Amino acid sequence: MSDRPLPTETPPEPAAEQGDRFAALYPSEEGIRAQVARRQRVATGWRVAFLAATSLAVVILSTLLLSIINQSFGLVAEQTDIPEAQLVADHYKSQVLGATNVLLATEDDADIAAGIAADANGIGLLGYAVYADNGAALQALSVDGVAPTAETVATGTYPLTRPLLLYSSAAILSDKPQVAAFLLYTLQHAEEVMSELGAFPADATALAEQAAALATTLGLDPAAPIDPAAYEGDIVISGSSTLNPVTREIARRFRGEGFQGAIKISSVGTVAGFEAFCAESADLVDASRPITTVETAACAANNLTPLSVQVGLDPVVVAVNSANTFAADVNGEQLAALFTTATNWSEVVAGWPADAIHRFLPTTDSGTMDVFVNTVFGGRTLADLPYDALVQIFKANVTAGRCRAIEAEQRFYADSFVCDTEEAFTARCQSDAAPTGCVLEPRDKGSLVALIQADVVNPVVQQAWFLAESLFRREEIMAEARQAYPTADVHFRRWLTLDFLTRPQSSQPELAGVRTAILGSLWVVAIGILVGFPVGVGAAIYLEEYADKRRRFNRFIQTNINNLAGVPSIIYGLLGLTVFVRVLEPITSGAVFGVGDATTANGRTILSAGLTLALLILPVIIISAQEAIKAVPSSLREASLGLGATKWQTIWNHVVPNAIGGIMTGVILAMSRIIGETAPLVVVGASTFITTDPTGPFSKFTTLPTQIFQWTSRPQQTFLLIAGAAIIVLLVLLFILNAFAIYLRNRYARRIG
Amino acid sequence: MTTLAHDPSGGPFAIEAQALNIYYGSFRAVKDINLRFSTHKITALIGPSGCGKSTVLRAFNRMNDLIPISRTEGTVLFHGKNIYDADVDPVQVRRRVGMVFQKPNPFPKTIYENVAWGARINGFKGNKADMDALVEESLRDAAVWDDVKDKLFQSGLSLSGGQQQRLCIARAIATRPELILMDEPASALDPISTLRIEELIQDLKKNYTILIVTHNMQQAARASDYTAFFNMDTDRAGYLVEYGQTDQVFTSPKSEMTEQYITGRFG
Repeated sequence: MSDRPLPTETPPEPAAEQGDRFAALYPSEEGIRAQVARRQRVATGWRVAFLAATSLAVVILSTLLLSIINQSFGLVAEQTDIPEAQLVADHYKSQVLGATNVLLATEDDADIAAGIAADANGIGLLGYAVYADNGAALQALSVDGVAPTAETVATGTYPLTRPLLLYSSAAILSDKPQVAAFLLYTLQHAEEVMSELGAFPADATALAEQAAALATTLGLDPAAPIDPAAYEGDIVISGSSTLNPVTREIARRFRGEGFQGAIKISSVGTVAGFEAFCAESADLVDASRPITTVETAACAANNLTPLSVQVGLDPVVVAVNSANTFAADVNGEQLAALFTTATNWSEVVAGWPADAIHRFLPTTDSGTMDVFVNTVFGGRTLADLPYDALVQIFKANVTAGRCRAIEAEQRFYADSFVCDTEEAFTARCQSDAAPTGCVLEPRDKGSLVALIQADVVNPVVQQAWFLAESLFRREEIMAEARQAYPTADVHFRRWLTLDFLTRPQSSQPELAGVRTAILGSLWVVAIGILVGFPVGVGAAIYLEEYADKRRRFNRFIQTNINNLAGVPSIIYGLLGLTVFVRVLEPITSGAVFGVGDATTANGRTILSAGLTLALLILPVIIISAQEAIKAVPSSLREASLGLGATKWQTIWNHVVPNAIGGIMTGVILAMSRIIGETAPLVVVGASTFITTDPTGPFSKFTTLPTQIFQWTSRPQQTFLLIAGAAIIVLLVLLFILNAFAIYLRNRYARRIG
Repeated sequence: MTTLAHDPSGGPFAIEAQALNIYYGSFRAVKDINLRFSTHKITALIGPSGCGKSTVLRAFNRMNDLIPISRTEGTVLFHGKNIYDADVDPVQVRRRVGMVFQKPNPFPKTIYENVAWGARINGFKGNKADMDALVEESLRDAAVWDDVKDKLFQSGLSLSGGQQQRLCIARAIATRPELILMDEPASALDPISTLRIEELIQDLKKNYTILIVTHNMQQAARASDYTAFFNMDTDRAGYLVEYGQTDQVFTSPKSEMTEQYITGRFG
């Protein structure tokens, strides 16, 4: 034991000259300064390089985001076969006209006035001019506390106010100077005439401006009054009965000043007036509402481009008999009841007499009816209509063949056919054999609305403009669109709307939504995480805490897991296709459990996709969980074991809680990855076109990225726009899921800390 | 050295190592240790770095099992049973042989939970009040109660190093072990904290048998009843050089090497 030498000597002094020798190898004092400065310059260079890299990344990311946003909003020129609003309005018009005790439906306001004046229980709708003529026998109800007066009409507070317009076209005005002269004369004399008649002229300045603009277009002197004696030829005027008295009075004066031609004025209602005009049998239209896109389209067929001037305003008066003592003010709901559902007055307001309401109405064709329906039932959509009405709208607007085909696909009513005969129904759906081509559940309202949207309304975006151009070139685009698509409705459209989120996929981009895809994504990600998380964390715990790393087999497994993390995702898709879709088909199609159906019998289900994604994220979760577990200090394990804890107690109470932050980070990364996965899902069989929501793990499915991929590969521009909107949805979904996971992680971390 | 020569006290023994050899892979870290420890005494294990004293200490609660490449030969008798027998569960051993580590390692839980957790997993049957009492008494016994009584539900990591180490001692004694192994418990602490730990160890002797590894000669001299001196042999394996009453080892060591070590001539 004494063979160890004991330290007895003191260490030798360091040689002094050696220190000098090394010091001489460094730069001199000046050289040091230069050398440090040089190193600092290099450091600065690197700093600039890193800053540039960061800036580049920021610029690229912002550009990406901006371009997506740019795509998702903007002006569109949208063409519809029949606007949804018109279908809705037509429905309510028929409701109003189909109400009980409609004693009169006429185009002549005077008849309506006379009818109400003679009936103590009468109520009706008429233009203000006629109402004013019959002031003593009638009284006007105020709506929402506002009575129709000059002031409330001018300020627009009386809700049932409409514009009074005159329509013509540039071609007519240049072909027939007498028509142009009459129109200009009308503008010049509207204020005077309408005031005399007790009607409401448009603002004097507006009238003058319109007159000046029109005169300039026609090549006349805006300041000079029209001399009717200088014109000859016929003038045909057709349209609204409301504007009729004004036009008649102006025509009387026009003739009085020496006009030689004939003026033919017919009071047929605005709708009929436009029909005549577009059929080229009228030169001017008296209109009590603006022209609709459908009417514009009809005119366009005859190469007529409508042109309008506004001469006045007209309140639609809700008139009752002057003997009516109870009704004075009504709100929108009561108005709706008064003209549709209620039979007796008492049904509208408790306390009103239980006498029948006698209704005196204008016809479907009148502008008065349009204004009434648009005001009282405005803002309602197809979804607000009853199911039966929707069925009738559908049937009335598609071909019989289409209707039968749709009904064969899925019926409207459980017990009968609408578009086909009773025999056909019996033959197809009540035979003893299993019903083929006859899904037993009738349609629901949502699908019927979607059907009408697609088949009847059929909106087609003719052209769309990006957000930036829409903002900066709005006027030009408007003009361009009016030129190119005269019948289309040009408006600002957000592609990312609530409807977009809640509608299923559709072959029409205007009607397509991402609901099916969002649900599919959530299902698939949920299954992926629910399977991948426990398996991955379990494997990580085994590999870190139990497996003996000295054994070659365990090292082999570890190496493989590390390599799998870098395998392209499509390989996992192939694996999923082989294993889950093909081999395990009885399980993944749900056949073993007696669920699922013929459409999922091939195993291309949410379950297969979820399991494939679980495989895909397994290496990521295992590796990150392993790192997190490794990072738990071994002193904690020793402390726990030293107290007599078992290995499992140590892992469960100390290792996992301390590693959970890192583990969750891995899960978040994994989730972010699979929510954007497309390739493996396409291989496993995500449907690119599917309109039914997934109902469970054995459903067919599609996911957001698959949907986006499919849309971007379509040739139509509009699909690209909704793909942009879907990308935003995907990003937001990702943020939401990540935020939730981070919240969970932080909550856990706090509890442990 | 293969006989039970080092048997300074006689009397009842808490634990006993016979022909203990510990290997790390093929390297023998500790060779032929024969030692037995008297109950309710403090025994200091001293020696230069790398002589295997910590390895020997950790052999008494099978902590070395945690190192996959380690292998233990020989016998450690505890209540007449070799704790390295195949039918012995190391958890059974650790349940009865507590340990305090070199670096304070409280759980990242509340102070209360640090003490209560060991009791809870070991089947403590008391109700909430009993548990509160156990926690308080353990913290009092570990001389840290006054420091923490107002913040029992704050994290154990919020304490200073010395307080943390006393919390770890409280945690160890809360499960009422028979033996407490201390692996340089004061080496990471300042002198004041060290002193308090030493006083605490003296108090604990009444109820527990304590084995303490230390690098600090004064600490061994001040705080222990017996001292075992280890050294590293030429094959780098640690072995027991001398074992005796602390007074005797420090004042008249039998081995020249012991004398050189305690007088600071090597190590």
